[in-house]
Amino acid sequence: MTVFSLLSLLFLAAFPSLASANSDYHESLVLQPLPQSALLASFNFQSNDSQTSFDERHFRYFPRALGQILRHANTKELHLRFTTGRWDAESWGPRPWKGTKEGGTGVELWAWIDAVDDEAAFAKWITLAQSLSGLFCASLNFIDSTRTTRPVVSFEPMGTHAASDNLHLLHGTLPGEVVCTENLTPFLKLLPCKGKAGVASLLDGHKLFDASWQSMSVDVRPICTQAGDCVVQIDQSVDIVLDIDRSKRPRDNPIPRPVPNEQLVCDTSKPYHSDDTCYPLESTSDKSWGLSEIFGRSISGSCPLTEGSTDGTVCLRVPHEREVHATDGAVEVKRPDGYTRCFTLESSTSFDLAIPEQEATTQVPLDEPVLRAERTIVGHGQERGGMRIIFDNPSDTNAVDFIYFETLPWFLRPYVHTLQATITGRDGLRRQVPASQFIKETFYRPAIDRERGTQLELALSVPAASTVTLTYDFEKAILRYTEYPPDANRGFNVAPAVIKLSSADGGASHPIYIRTTSLLLPLPTPDFSMPYNVIILTSTVIALAFGSIFNLLVRRFVTAEEASAMRAQTLKSRLGGKLVALRDRVKGKTAKTE
Amino acid sequence: MATPAALPPLPFNPSRVRSYVLRLPLFTRLVLLAIIVFWLLELQTVWSVKQWGSLIPEEINIGTMYRLNTYPFIHFGFFHAFLNLLALTPLLERFEAEHGTLTAVALFFGPLSTFPAGAYIVIERFVLHRNTEVFGASVWVFLLLGSEAIRTFKSNPYFSLGPYKIPTWTSPLFACGLVSIFVQNASLLGHLCAIFVGYLFGLGYLKVFVPPEKVLRWIEGKLNLLGRLPHYVSVDQKTFGRYGVLPTTTAGGERATPMSYLGSSQRLAAIRKPRSNPHFLFVHLPHILSFICIVAGVVWLLLLPLNDYSRQTYISENALLPGQVHAYFSGSEQHIFRGYKKELEAILERQTPSEQDSRNEEFTPAVSDEIQSILRAAGLKVATQKYEYTSSGITHQGQNVYAIIQAPRGDATEAIVLVAAWKTADDELNLNGVSLALTLAGYFKRWSLWSKDIIFVFPPDSKSGTQAWIDAYHDMQPAFVQPLPLKSGALQGGLVIEYPFDHRFESLHILYDGVNGQLPNLDLFNTAVSIAGGQMGIGSNLQEIWDHNDSYEMRLQTILRGMVKQGFGYATGAHSSFMPYHIDAITLQPKGDGWQDEMALGRTIEGLCRSLNNLLEHLHQSFFFYLLMQTNRFVSIGTYLPSAMLIAGNFTIMAIALWLRTGYYTGLEQTAVKPPGTAEETNKQAATLTEKSGANTAQQPAVKTVSSSIIERQLALPLTLVVSLHLLGLVPLYIFNNINHQYYPTATYASIAINAILPSVLAASLTRGLTTTPRDQSQQSLLIKSFSLLVLGLFLSTLATLNFSLSFMIGLLCTPLSFVNRIDSRTASRPVRSVLAVAGLVLLNVLSPPVVLLGACRYSGVDVETVLTQAAFGWDVWGMWTQVVVWCVWWPAWVTGCALLGFSLF
Repeated sequence: MTVFSLLSLLFLAAFPSLASANSDYHESLVLQPLPQSALLASFNFQSNDSQTSFDERHFRYFPRALGQILRHANTKELHLRFTTGRWDAESWGPRPWKGTKEGGTGVELWAWIDAVDDEAAFAKWITLAQSLSGLFCASLNFIDSTRTTRPVVSFEPMGTHAASDNLHLLHGTLPGEVVCTENLTPFLKLLPCKGKAGVASLLDGHKLFDASWQSMSVDVRPICTQAGDCVVQIDQSVDIVLDIDRSKRPRDNPIPRPVPNEQLVCDTSKPYHSDDTCYPLESTSDKSWGLSEIFGRSISGSCPLTEGSTDGTVCLRVPHEREVHATDGAVEVKRPDGYTRCFTLESSTSFDLAIPEQEATTQVPLDEPVLRAERTIVGHGQERGGMRIIFDNPSDTNAVDFIYFETLPWFLRPYVHTLQATITGRDGLRRQVPASQFIKETFYRPAIDRERGTQLELALSVPAASTVTLTYDFEKAILRYTEYPPDANRGFNVAPAVIKLSSADGGASHPIYIRTTSLLLPLPTPDFSMPYNVIILTSTVIALAFGSIFNLLVRRFVTAEEASAMRAQTLKSRLGGKLVALRDRVKGKTAKTE
Repeated sequence: MATPAALPPLPFNPSRVRSYVLRLPLFTRLVLLAIIVFWLLELQTVWSVKQWGSLIPEEINIGTMYRLNTYPFIHFGFFHAFLNLLALTPLLERFEAEHGTLTAVALFFGPLSTFPAGAYIVIERFVLHRNTEVFGASVWVFLLLGSEAIRTFKSNPYFSLGPYKIPTWTSPLFACGLVSIFVQNASLLGHLCAIFVGYLFGLGYLKVFVPPEKVLRWIEGKLNLLGRLPHYVSVDQKTFGRYGVLPTTTAGGERATPMSYLGSSQRLAAIRKPRSNPHFLFVHLPHILSFICIVAGVVWLLLLPLNDYSRQTYISENALLPGQVHAYFSGSEQHIFRGYKKELEAILERQTPSEQDSRNEEFTPAVSDEIQSILRAAGLKVATQKYEYTSSGITHQGQNVYAIIQAPRGDATEAIVLVAAWKTADDELNLNGVSLALTLAGYFKRWSLWSKDIIFVFPPDSKSGTQAWIDAYHDMQPAFVQPLPLKSGALQGGLVIEYPFDHRFESLHILYDGVNGQLPNLDLFNTAVSIAGGQMGIGSNLQEIWDHNDSYEMRLQTILRGMVKQGFGYATGAHSSFMPYHIDAITLQPKGDGWQDEMALGRTIEGLCRSLNNLLEHLHQSFFFYLLMQTNRFVSIGTYLPSAMLIAGNFTIMAIALWLRTGYYTGLEQTAVKPPGTAEETNKQAATLTEKSGANTAQQPAVKTVSSSIIERQLALPLTLVVSLHLLGLVPLYIFNNINHQYYPTATYASIAINAILPSVLAASLTRGLTTTPRDQSQQSLLIKSFSLLVLGLFLSTLATLNFSLSFMIGLLCTPLSFVNRIDSRTASRPVRSVLAVAGLVLLNVLSPPVVLLGACRYSGVDVETVLTQAAFGWDVWGMWTQVVVWCVWWPAWVTGCALLGFSLF
């Protein structure tokens, strides 16, 4: 039983209800404690407006600001992601929403734009990026042609589009963008209740951005039923993984000082245990926490605009036998799966949850990730390097097929001919195999300097119980000195790679997405400080010294008489002499005649 | 002139400059000399010439009136003096030539110094109420310019610039304005006063101060100045301005005063003599220059510890903010530290007695498991890596344990490394260090402020473990080293913790030398010193000098120890392996017995990690090439590099001189034809012969052709020999890096024996095998030396920029090679030759690479086998290049030097 298959089921269940209700709004919060005192909180806000009212610019739940931008930029479907941190799949299991609602580190944007040709689409795309940049206070305006790609198989439209539309998919990333409160505020403003009521009232910048991992997404897509009723759906979500210990620290004293001696949890069975010697004991019990403790506030009632709150808005994924204290008045519904209980909020009273510390007997089972991927830069030096991508298939029975999509900035020039694959079985033996054994299809679009980046899409298959390592070499281009950003030079960010797995159960329509971490590419940097000066100066001195010494060594020293004798012998000088003699004679004659 | 063949033409025409300089009149010379003397005096620090002689308005009273005359001689630096000299010389020379020496003396010690000074003081003190001191000969420059301008104005009143007419007398004002714009601290007022006096003088208002000609003539006649003083410009000898006088009015007889003319021509000849003496030029001069270079190089190094040549360290990267944060590592963390330590001790005790005997302190799997479980419990990602190296028949294997704290909101783009090796660099058990690192791992995990991942590495030893780990981190590992299963981003800095004893410590010993003499960024070292000293109150030491009293000797000793470590290029600790990957790392070793406990060390490391965490970019601001002489003083590359460069330059100078000599100067060739005589005589005769060569036809045509023609160089043998000797160096390089460690002493003694024989064998076979004339032999031996030294100089000067210390040490050991020559069979009889050559060979053998190695080992009390095993390990594991320099640069040059001496035996 997947944690989030439930969510996706919910998601699927939304379809029939859409047909009946032209315009509605739902919100939900799912809380799940994860190992190592982490807590996953998934906020989801979904609202629909009918296509006709959208076209008539009659917005009810759909945010007007965004709607106007989409209309202006001819955008039919939009996906925007703000992500920080990395998902620790080893401890936390599979990603929320199967990775479909997260992006790579920084900002990621992709959209289907209706346009006659590529150029028109690109112009609209730039318009879209610029407008969104203003709306979300992000540097989306830096998505230019070098950061824009047109993925071929990695993304598929999530909505239903008319066949007559001439849709273009454009994709852009800003891996270096730092996501912070200035992005959260406009995000919350798009919500019907603006973060004043409902689960959104928990979203406080201080807590949200103290999370270990955090992702915000905005998805807009048209959905049509068979009957032809179309709605425009906006789906906003915030997923955060909080560290319970850290979030529980009071805001005025956030420093993790060493605990007082008497609060140390020690292993008293050790023979050396004493007042001043303590071998720390791993606590097996689940930590206590509460909503107001972790988020610093409680939910201030449900959003009055929420419709059809049949299922409960706040869901908690802990075993049913665990003790949970909720505010009085909230209706608690326990789901039959044994792990989920949901609470329905009242619109007027605030809601809080508290879980006391208890000995953990059972845990919510976490799925094994389908694939683990790691991408790192190897090698060292200023001139070249290598990329190493490791795909680990933990399954002992099934091979994994997936699409690997990466965009590289133009100043990182990959040598695709050096693409090599190594396979390591469970026995730990590494074998070099031709890359074509795993790569079924390749789409490669080479970079053009200062115009576009490299786009590489590979259809790969990793056999069961094995680890495949792909490596290729690259060269670092030398930038013009004006192309370096003026701020501190820590290196250039390379966007994370996107991996699209066609999920085994749900078919191709509900793929799983995994993103690797972004990379830091140190480029040769002009440094007008001492070493640079020293090198230049030494080189100059050596060049000068070399010049004069070389001159001294190869020059032949002859006496003046010899030199003139030698000069007289060359053809040129003899001709010159003749010419001079001739000219003299002519001159002499003319002088005489005058 | 000398023989054209003997004198390579210089890029500019020196003869004109020389003749100009030689013809400078007396007073001008004296003034220039005085300026130079005062400049030199100013270099010492005991007595401030400036304070004594400059023109300070407030200081002027009856007793200090001398300042009115002394200030033009005083300058405040080389460039000030030099530029003023350049400007003043032509002006003063012209003035003296026009007015005569006596008039010049009278005027320049009288009104032309005092009037501008007086005007300046009056305006400065009474009008402007300031007290700016002035000095420098520029006052005379502008004064003379002013008077010249008036004269120009009389003959040529205007420049025409389009419709505008600019009076020519304003030109000094422009010059003055430009000078005050471009030159800092130029006194505009002083210059204006000088120009004003210059105008007055040019207009003739100061004529009254010129002594009457009659008096001058009388003095001159009475004292016979013309006869006694060289370069004296007589009253009658005046040229009456630059326009000259008609030849008829020149007093021809008096002009050519015989005595003065004779004097100057003698001096001229004396200067010209060495240049016209090819033997001096080609044989003695290079030796002198080489020797001067060597002495200067060594003296330069000895000067470095002085305050004037070294600098105070400072934090260059502002982002580091050392010691700006409070360190909280204390309290109950110490209990946890003790818990971990007891746990590890318990594991060590639990090991079976048989294990305990041999491998009591080994990094056993039990220890490794315990470390892993502690790290895992703290919530870190843990992984291990196995490695195995084989060098000189010894296998080094082990398993690294490492763990990563993933920065809470980070993205695996950057990381800091903390290393706690189970065995320290001195092979002691680092129990406290490992426990401290484990405690820190748990403590750091709770903080959310990390912007970079923190990697804790626990290698089993300090020599190979980190090397295996860092190689694998960059995917550059050899076959027997496992790749890393877990990685993070680009490493920004590394810290190595060592704490091999149980008591409290007094100070921190910071190790910073990397492999091949690479050094970490000075900022990292400074940050460590500043946090330990400034925040924690822990003193720092370096280079194992525990009682540094900041004296010259201590500083020099610190520098020299640092240079020895840098020169040998071996890894001094676990941090050294990071340097080749441009990751700055240092080792912190607690030393002494004081009152600082492990928590203080922990807080220091916490502070350092916080500083590194602040970094926005890779450490690059501060120096990578430096010599430290104290924890807070260093010399940067610009200051110390000339020392090694001079030593390397001595070989290049000698090589070039030998090359020229083989092509143009045959040296003692004439002795074969002419009756025996000393070398000097022969040369003189040769020189005179060539001088007369135009006219001389009949006398000894054979000799003449030999000495004046260009000689063809026989390059084949010398080139082959030098190249093949350098290639031959690969043989000992291979042997010393690949044989089993127990054979190293044998191999060393064998190489000493071979070194003793090889040059003589080489010399004998070359002399016997090739039938060449003695002349060719002499030339070829010079060419061999030239090529060998050329390569040596080239290598060493390049090496100086990479590993200064190694280049300096090898350069010093090779210095005798500049001066060894084949002893010519025609200068010394056979027994003398043999005795000299054998003595030279014995001396050179004392300086051969293996003998030096043995000597150094004996001196420092280390086993030769240990050293060579370590060296081979360095070559195999660390990528150390010292042996290559020894066997492929030093050894071939040495063999060549010995072979040259060996030639004289046959």
